[in-house]
Amino acid sequence: MNSVGEECIELKQTYDSCFNKWFADKFLKGLAEEDKDCSNIFTAYQSCVKKALKSQNISLAEVEKDVLGTSEENQPPNSS
Amino acid sequence: MKIWTSEHIFSMYFSYFSHPWETVTQAVWRKYPNPHNPAVVGTDVVERQVVNGVLHTHRLISSRWGLPSWAQTILGADRVCYGYEHSEVNPEEKTMTMRTRNLTFSSTVSMDERMVYSPDPTDCEKTILRQETIITVKGVPLTSYMEDYLLNSISTNSFKGRDAMEFVISKINREVEELMSTYKRSTTEIFSHTKRSFGEITESALRSVDDISLVAMKSVDEISDAAKKSIDDLSCAAKKGIDSFTQPAGSMPRI
Repeated sequence: MNSVGEECIELKQTYDSCFNKWFADKFLKGLAEEDKDCSNIFTAYQSCVKKALKSQNISLAEVEKDVLGTSEENQPPNSS
Repeated sequence: MKIWTSEHIFSMYFSYFSHPWETVTQAVWRKYPNPHNPAVVGTDVVERQVVNGVLHTHRLISSRWGLPSWAQTILGADRVCYGYEHSEVNPEEKTMTMRTRNLTFSSTVSMDERMVYSPDPTDCEKTILRQETIITVKGVPLTSYMEDYLLNSISTNSFKGRDAMEFVISKINREVEELMSTYKRSTTEIFSHTKRSFGEITESALRSVDDISLVAMKSVDEISDAAKKSIDDLSCAAKKGIDSFTQPAGSMPRI
């Protein structure tokens, strides 16, 4: 599976296998709160992805705002 | 002069997996690549953290749709499209919710898909997926041809998605060397096309309220009638009982 940034593919694959293992063996069994096992590789993978997003001009800001502020959906529209 | 606001297409699917919820949720993360969804070319985790025991993840999904030429005329050449997915996995309540929206072309066509994976309440070894898709088209009249095309796409993708999940799940099961269970293919579908029409909605809502109160009133009358009857019967039986008690059965012995 590819990544949005070609340079991130290896990091992504390493991270994904780490995450899948943690998810199945620990998270689903209620054994671990934080994913400490994979945090190092995740940080490296993350920074690679964010760089690739910037270079390709993909903006997540608006969508992130919508998703995180879902309580805003219920408010009446501004009458301006 | 016609002024277009927006039109919506709404569809809902239920899919059933003969696999436990834990297996299905693992398969979600490992879904791509798979032969049933060749359009998806990339998935990237842009954010992930555990908050109060719930795993929150934000992912960027990259796809190449292979747009038909009429769509390319409206939307532009076929290029990589991006979708944004937010999901929450709650291992205690056993729910996984996902919400995916398109980033590309979002000013013209907005696709909003919500999925919930949860155990089948009648069988804990099975999982139910509830999938709702809302497509909103702004500023472009939604012809019936486009509507059919989009509904067909949703339907096809839902079945493909199901096939993809089964494909990945069987990979997982093979990996842990379990016996594969055969799955029942059963999906139910509900379609509705809604234009923005508040009048229609309030009218039918008022009608239902009237119907419900009418039925409610009838039941209250029936209940009080039945209650009254039972009270009469009871008091009748009680009286008979008291009478037989107060009248001596035979002559009392003289002391």
